[in-house]
Amino acid sequence: MLELSMHILDIAQNSLRAQAKGVEIRVLEDLGKDLLRVEVLDDGRGMSPETVKRVTDPFYTTRPSRVAGLGVPFLKEAAEQCGGGLEVHSREGKGTRIVATFQLDHFDRAPLGDMGETLAILITGNPEVEFLYEHRVNGRTYRLDTREMREILGPVGLGDPSVFAFIRQDVQQGLKAIGAATFPQTMNLLGGRENP
Amino acid sequence: MKLKELAERLNLELTTPNAPMEAEVKTGYSSDLLSDVLANSIEGDLWVTRQTHLNIVAIAVMRDLSGILLVNGAQPDPDTLEKAAEKMIPIFRTTLPTFEIVGRLHQLGISGQR
Repeated sequence: MLELSMHILDIAQNSLRAQAKGVEIRVLEDLGKDLLRVEVLDDGRGMSPETVKRVTDPFYTTRPSRVAGLGVPFLKEAAEQCGGGLEVHSREGKGTRIVATFQLDHFDRAPLGDMGETLAILITGNPEVEFLYEHRVNGRTYRLDTREMREILGPVGLGDPSVFAFIRQDVQQGLKAIGAATFPQTMNLLGGRENP
Repeated sequence: MKLKELAERLNLELTTPNAPMEAEVKTGYSSDLLSDVLANSIEGDLWVTRQTHLNIVAIAVMRDLSGILLVNGAQPDPDTLEKAAEKMIPIFRTTLPTFEIVGRLHQLGISGQR
């Protein structure tokens, strides 16, 4: 996978398969520490300690239709490839928290990709689930909360096709406004990052 | 072979209309890991990759590559195109996968020898 938004989509879909009713996606960019942290939390059925140990194994999967589940191992690889790592915390009956860290400006750090599309797919495809997306860049925050959206949309509902384009655009514009690092900005010749 | 002739013979689509096409290409490199390209490409290489973001232009400038060739029909990001135009880096596209286009480049005499 070339983009973090695709990794995040994959991980969040694991949460949905685990019957989560709430999924939180939190992204933190700390320019001072050159750190990017991606966190996906859910209140799904969780995993036993033995299963947690196995989820980074590419040949482990909970889906009988597949011989291997690659979401977590791929994200782990993407993180480790650029000086970061991946942690999986889970409790049966409580939920799961996956945390991936990256060196923000590492050459091989995958670009963020289209988070707008990822959220639009997740939210409109699962209108009964509550999603929270929070993206912080050195003190500036973009937030998308389906609980708030429900109040605004009223009877239209989150599954309405018009909502897809709205979410996608809102996320794209919101991330631009806070100066989210869509790709690593290591190279001075391209002009450094605009520090907010 | 000149970049221009390579593009014609392999039906490569040029996405950066004003980029220089007169460079003589003798060697190429293929990788999607930017640090690998930075470490192992040599001046004049034509770089075959699936990566499309802005930093591919930075790598091409830093390593004096003759051009970038995107595979599998990948489209360069808009800011990648903008920076490529500014830095005069030609970016090509092909619908072929890496293995196939690299094979065809090799048949035309482009070498991967370091």
